[in-house]
Amino acid sequence: MRARVAGRWALTAVGAAITALYLFPIYWMYASSLKSPAELFRSPPTLFPSAIDLAAYTWIFTRENVLRYLANSFLLAGTTTFVTLALAIPCAYAMSRLRSRWVDGALLGVMLAQVLPPALMVTPIFIMFRQLGLTNSYEGVILALVTKSLPFAIVVLRPAFLLVPQELEEAARVDGCTRLGALFRVILPAARTAIVVCAILVFLMTYGEYVYAASLLSRIAMQPATVGLYAFIGAEISDWNNIMAFASAFVTPVIILFILMQRLIVQGMTAGAIK
Amino acid sequence: MPSPARTRTRFTDSDALLPTLVAGALIFIIVFIGYPVAYNLAMSFQEVTLGNIRDFARPFVGLENYQALVADPLFWPVLRNTAIFVITNVVLQVLLGLGLAMFFLQDFPGAAWMRGMILAGWILPPLVIAAVFKWLFASNGGLINEALMGAGLTAQPVNFLSDTATAMATVTFTNVWFGTPFAMILLSAGLANLPRDVFEAAQIDGAGTLTRFTRITVPLLMPTLLAVTCLCTIYTLRAFDVIWGMTGGGPANTTNVLPVWSFQLSFQQFNFAQGAVIATMMFALVILVALLYIRSIRSELRA
Amino acid sequence: MRITRRQTLALAGAAPIAAPALVQAQARTISLWHVFNLETEAYMREGVRDWNAQNPNQRIEERIIPFAQYRTELVRAIATGDVPDLCVIDNPDTPSFAAQNQLTDLTQRVATSERIRASVYHTGPWSTAQWRGRTFAVPRDSNTIALYINHEMFRAAGLDPARPPGTWPDLFAAARRLTSADGRVSGLMFSARAAEDATFQWLPFLWQAGGDIDRLDGPEALDALRFWVECVTSGVSSRDVLTVSQSEGVNRLISGNAAMAISGPWDTPRVSQQARFEWSVAQLPVRGEGREIHASGLGGWNWAIPQGTRNADAAWRLIEHMSRPEHMAQSWRSGRLPPRTDVPVENPVYAQAFRAYSEQILTARPRGPHPRWPDISRPIQTAIQSALTGQAPPDVALRMAATAIRPILQQTPLRG
Repeated sequence: MRARVAGRWALTAVGAAITALYLFPIYWMYASSLKSPAELFRSPPTLFPSAIDLAAYTWIFTRENVLRYLANSFLLAGTTTFVTLALAIPCAYAMSRLRSRWVDGALLGVMLAQVLPPALMVTPIFIMFRQLGLTNSYEGVILALVTKSLPFAIVVLRPAFLLVPQELEEAARVDGCTRLGALFRVILPAARTAIVVCAILVFLMTYGEYVYAASLLSRIAMQPATVGLYAFIGAEISDWNNIMAFASAFVTPVIILFILMQRLIVQGMTAGAIK
Repeated sequence: MPSPARTRTRFTDSDALLPTLVAGALIFIIVFIGYPVAYNLAMSFQEVTLGNIRDFARPFVGLENYQALVADPLFWPVLRNTAIFVITNVVLQVLLGLGLAMFFLQDFPGAAWMRGMILAGWILPPLVIAAVFKWLFASNGGLINEALMGAGLTAQPVNFLSDTATAMATVTFTNVWFGTPFAMILLSAGLANLPRDVFEAAQIDGAGTLTRFTRITVPLLMPTLLAVTCLCTIYTLRAFDVIWGMTGGGPANTTNVLPVWSFQLSFQQFNFAQGAVIATMMFALVILVALLYIRSIRSELRA
Repeated sequence: MRITRRQTLALAGAAPIAAPALVQAQARTISLWHVFNLETEAYMREGVRDWNAQNPNQRIEERIIPFAQYRTELVRAIATGDVPDLCVIDNPDTPSFAAQNQLTDLTQRVATSERIRASVYHTGPWSTAQWRGRTFAVPRDSNTIALYINHEMFRAAGLDPARPPGTWPDLFAAARRLTSADGRVSGLMFSARAAEDATFQWLPFLWQAGGDIDRLDGPEALDALRFWVECVTSGVSSRDVLTVSQSEGVNRLISGNAAMAISGPWDTPRVSQQARFEWSVAQLPVRGEGREIHASGLGGWNWAIPQGTRNADAAWRLIEHMSRPEHMAQSWRSGRLPPRTDVPVENPVYAQAFRAYSEQILTARPRGPHPRWPDISRPIQTAIQSALTGQAPPDVALRMAATAIRPILQQTPLRG
């Protein structure tokens, strides 16, 4: 018994070591944001700031209005996640149940939709959106962001739906459910883990998206934080202290959200395991 | 052992619904992605300059752009760099992701927390990741060299990003760091969904850990594994920001990969047509990968 | 459809009832795109503010685009036909846009302008705004590169900061003495990264050696590249020159990890605020050993009116407004030098740096002008990086660059 408990704590130690090592660059970002400009590039590099310099944080909160940027980021990411899932879930479900050449072709198309780097996609999308009057609007950007995450969501959700036994569905149908009803009442709960994970990933992908937002939103008041970050990259100089502070402010809310939502995610994951 | 899937479902009357659901999302994709793809494809066959980029009817030059690109001295090096970069990344990300997923699936205090925290690495803007790793890998003043020399492992600093021999490995390392949480979390979800009873039955039957892994876990996880591998391949193929931020394709084009070269051609050298040719080639490459994926899912297992 | 000024006036004459509508049409905005986003760019902000104060009926609608995105956005604007009324263009890029007819021809306007005349501008900046004898842009600011030196480190190494190295051999010897044995301090930092920085920083050495871009396979070019190779292989310059920007080289100077750094006046405000040692700016050393050619690179931004805007007249007036000598006198506070000869800068901040850069810019040469400058710059960057990493010997690297550039120069010679 004792050995088993000790074994578990040993695993915790190993896990903590792995996590700490992996997250070191993130620590470096936080530490850099608190260093003075001269210390930032000093050799030998200092692990801890020799003196905490909050000038960068003061700057981004007072002069750059980082809160507004973050609000935009959350708005765009949240809405995109919702729309993406709304479109992807039915599609992935249908693809998991329907097996034919056409569906295979469709899946191929979905895969291919993700190939082009956003930098190359943006010019034609910009042209198209301008014709449709969608530039400089939240709707336009969300639409573009959905095109980016929709193929991903479909590809990820399909295997999850595959793992849900047909029998469950058929049982519900026998009980008088329509196919759609069965989808909502039986399939979605069964694939909850995958959906939650997919939602998280789509949210994070969109939260960190830069190219579409930068090109389709020229009004500063509407821009998300990823674009705001570039306000510190000048023509010849880059303001690294402010960049790191801004990036820290950018990442922290999501990390906090994560920590708060851990319970939900953990529940989702372990629930799926008990079958 | 689970039985292989049936390759056909029974169709009932209400199955007009299913194709409709598929069609909805597909039309969306075709319109908003099909147009950019067609745009690039058309450009690759035309002569495109700043003067005529606004027009749709530009001079048609057939395969001239393709020939010029293949004849460019950079073509084969870039293609080779891309192959190395993509294959190494995919293999490492999937293996590490799987390893981490399995590790954190175990029941020990803080496991779920840590797994969530690792995902934090994926949130960082690529600009920041490139900058931080560039600093960490610097020849003079970089923390990694400090650590290596301090531990006595090397006498001289390793020129991670300034040496043609190590630059590719360094950007690969950074990209693996960046992409592994993604693979890890998807594989975690897949692993969590696996039916426990099969494992228990195998354990009772006396199957060892390795046997359980290879004979049960991997086959059951196959759909997710394949999806993750395919996605990883596509995302790495088009990965631009990390390499651009760290080396700009250098030194001396040793980290120049297809998306970087395409960007340089289109937006630095105003050679839009050749930039579009690269986009088309990337497309063709991915068609191969995606076809493999589609073929492999034919033999998918069902619960 | 768009209404031209003539049509508007005709309508005004024909229909007095339309007068209120006319007033509406005149109260437009001028769309201005630029890259000056940092807090230090007071020069641009003040110009905009002054104009808006004097022209409330024709306010400026600014769009600030980060430098990394700027050229891409301009291309996109041209591709969609949605161009701004006025924009800035980096001076080596101006011919690329002009040669493709994407900039409004300003020759006529210049001819009738009182404020903007060729004779009033330095030849270097003015030449970057010309293409085939016609004017397509107006220089906004200029910069060049020179040598920042750390006085304390000089004295500690037994060197006199009041007499900075004047020739390449002197520079190398000084850098040798200033480099620390443990590699913590590099004697000389410059930028050789895979970007325009490398070309911009190496061209002065090429020119000082007596070479030029159309003779990259000549002995002068080899001489110039060998100098850089030697700096790196001997350790006086960190291998990181291959990845850092010009500004990041100066970061190392500020943090005490480089004794000398080659960079421009854009870094002067920062050095002044953050350096905790005495410093100054010295002229780039000449080749020495018989060659005494002074040369440096010429950078800077030009104003341009894209082709296809309907507001060209207003945009031109804005250019004239921004080109007032008394306004340009403010540019130095943002680390930018005026491109005109008639700008009175009294009591400049960072006075020594101002004098040094003002002197250096007299021998600064533009890149090109050539409409395919990026196609010329990239092989040069590759050659530099190839030689500095030891991938190829300098002469082989330069020969490859020369081969790549030759057909381009045959099609269009250097300097249009």
